[in-house]
Amino acid sequence: MRDDREQVLSQIRASLKTAHLPTARATVPPRVSAGQGERAAMLENFRRELELLGGLSFLAQSDEEAIEIVLKLLRDVGGKELLSWEDSEMPVRGLGDALQASGYTRQKVKLAKDAAERKNKLMTLERATVGITGALAGLADTGSLALLSSAARPRLASLLPPTHIALLQTSRLFPNMASFFAAYPDITREASNLAFVAGPSRTADIELVLQRGVHGPKFVHVVLCDW
Amino acid sequence: MHTPNVTFHERVDKALRDQILHTALDRATGRFQTMRLSALASLEDADAVRDRARLIRAHTLSRLDAYLEQFATNVEKAGGHVHFAADASALNEIVNEIARKHDVKTVVKGKSMISEEAELNRALESNDIRVVETDLGEYIIQLAGETPSHIVGPAIHKTKEQIGELLHEKISIPYTDDPAQMTAAARAKLRREFLEADMGISGVNFGIAETGTICLVENEGNGRLTTTAPRVHVALMGIERIVPNLDDLSVMLQVLARSATGQKITVYTNLITGPRRNGEGDGPDELHIILLDNGRSRVLGTEVAEILYCIRCGACLNACPVYREIGGHAYGSVYTGPVGAVLTPALGGIAAWNDLPQASSLCGACREVCPVRIDIPRMLLVERDQATRAGKMAWWLRLGLHLYSFTVTRPALFHAATTFSRWGSRLAAAPTNGWIKRLPPPLIGWTRSRDFPAFAKKSFREQFEASHKK
Ligand code: SF4
Repeated sequence: MRDDREQVLSQIRASLKTAHLPTARATVPPRVSAGQGERAAMLENFRRELELLGGLSFLAQSDEEAIEIVLKLLRDVGGKELLSWEDSEMPVRGLGDALQASGYTRQKVKLAKDAAERKNKLMTLERATVGITGALAGLADTGSLALLSSAARPRLASLLPPTHIALLQTSRLFPNMASFFAAYPDITREASNLAFVAGPSRTADIELVLQRGVHGPKFVHVVLCDW
Repeated sequence: MHTPNVTFHERVDKALRDQILHTALDRATGRFQTMRLSALASLEDADAVRDRARLIRAHTLSRLDAYLEQFATNVEKAGGHVHFAADASALNEIVNEIARKHDVKTVVKGKSMISEEAELNRALESNDIRVVETDLGEYIIQLAGETPSHIVGPAIHKTKEQIGELLHEKISIPYTDDPAQMTAAARAKLRREFLEADMGISGVNFGIAETGTICLVENEGNGRLTTTAPRVHVALMGIERIVPNLDDLSVMLQVLARSATGQKITVYTNLITGPRRNGEGDGPDELHIILLDNGRSRVLGTEVAEILYCIRCGACLNACPVYREIGGHAYGSVYTGPVGAVLTPALGGIAAWNDLPQASSLCGACREVCPVRIDIPRMLLVERDQATRAGKMAWWLRLGLHLYSFTVTRPALFHAATTFSRWGSRLAAAPTNGWIKRLPPPLIGWTRSRDFPAFAKKSFREQFEASHKK
């Protein structure tokens, strides 16, 4: 396949000899540390920001409470098919059993390499009404969730169904993205996808009128596991 | 870059006479501006963050070769493929070849200005590949057979009534001007496309050298679907869109969404490092990142290299009084507004685009709002100068300047001329409160879209002499 790598790089090197790049320095000075946030303040901030974006948050003090909240949300949405992360990836013990006991089925997200098989599988996944995930972290300044992919943590769970329920431990709150990266400097080596999600999908492409739920979920509910 | 066959002046004329366009532009750019201001206010030390963002961009470009090599090595380490494309045709060739290899029939696309720059859709369609734009704004203009008029809001030149008609006609839904219903209809239509597409093509906001990661920001979820559902993901980026590390990325993201749409952060910030791995159940099996040069490496060595700091937020468009009057299409180029007025001639050659640097009153609003403080007015002047040197000056301007220098170097003649224009202009403006509605040729072009003030009763020279006599 055509590759102009050498040609492009050598033109860059030639140009850099005469480049007029105002304020360019040899290094960018290091930043004063992003700092640690205080949990209660971060929690309050996170909830306020999420709400501004049109998402909702629910505070749970125990596994039982969290399960109760999730089941209630599921009943409100309706439908029995879910996309969900595996039990080991979620901070609430006993959730998987509770879902099963209540008659919910969880689709396994495993897309084939083969084109036709892949499409068929996607069509069945598309039927799910709710996706359940366990966030790696929450960013207080923007109300965003950090979702890291893996075999047990499919990306589609937070993407395909119209409702997304995320479980987040309040001990995993960070003041902002910079402090999150400082705590997880090698995060991109662990998986192919890290997504920050701030509230429901939206668009303003028609006369800047805000619409929620375009291609991604219209409803984002965060269950805050505070124990 | 494709040069349009209608002249710049004809396009501007048309835009200025278009009432519907004005309504749409006013609604959109005005809102964008208000939202940007309140979002920046939510940043504790907005000025310091912008300074840092500028430092990062400047520093990265000053070692672009090294950062690009580091980026490419790390993408490959993560299992991705990297391709360098010297120009648009190279990029199109590479994408077509990947498509052939994977027997691709349908492509879903996220928003990508690089793809517009290379006219990729046309290149794919000529190989019988169906291309579906999935960003709502892009989808609308694809149905309309148009090009984006704004980097951030591709369809902001259209009113909801126009979009309602368009959807009714093209995807056979009952006419509605309710954005909620239109959005729902587009969602349903596009959902199937995502699930059935063989390949996803996206843009890239930043490539992170230290980790080999690409970062894509978006609000709708179409970007995440494009890069998750299909078997193959092709990401298109300009060679200048690199940042050194994740911390730098977090700085850029603090200013990008705020400047673009007035959000603190976009709904989705998608960081992709290689194709799916270790048994991941979704995500593409192959990831190709194509780095487009198309003149950028050459621009890097010029006086307008600073335009490569741009992070495509669109704030300068919304702030620009010229853009707000004429809209994006009048520029005739892929990149519009102040950034486009500098970038287009830089990439495509001043000979073909000599009019664009003139499309500015040099008021400085663009520099004021730019999150990385790019000095656009300075570069517009550089390019105007280049245009003049290239002999690309309008005949009437050249004649005028000759007459001017002939006159001002002869005091008696100058005095006579100023007296004449003063009385002439006051006569012409007498019925309209001191504003001239129509200047005589060759100056008529000026008054076609604006009024010209009559000269003062006394010239500066007369006032000066009078006050010194006292
Ligand atoms: S020049 Fe500055 S304001 Fe304009 S699009 Fe680029 S970054 Fe934004």
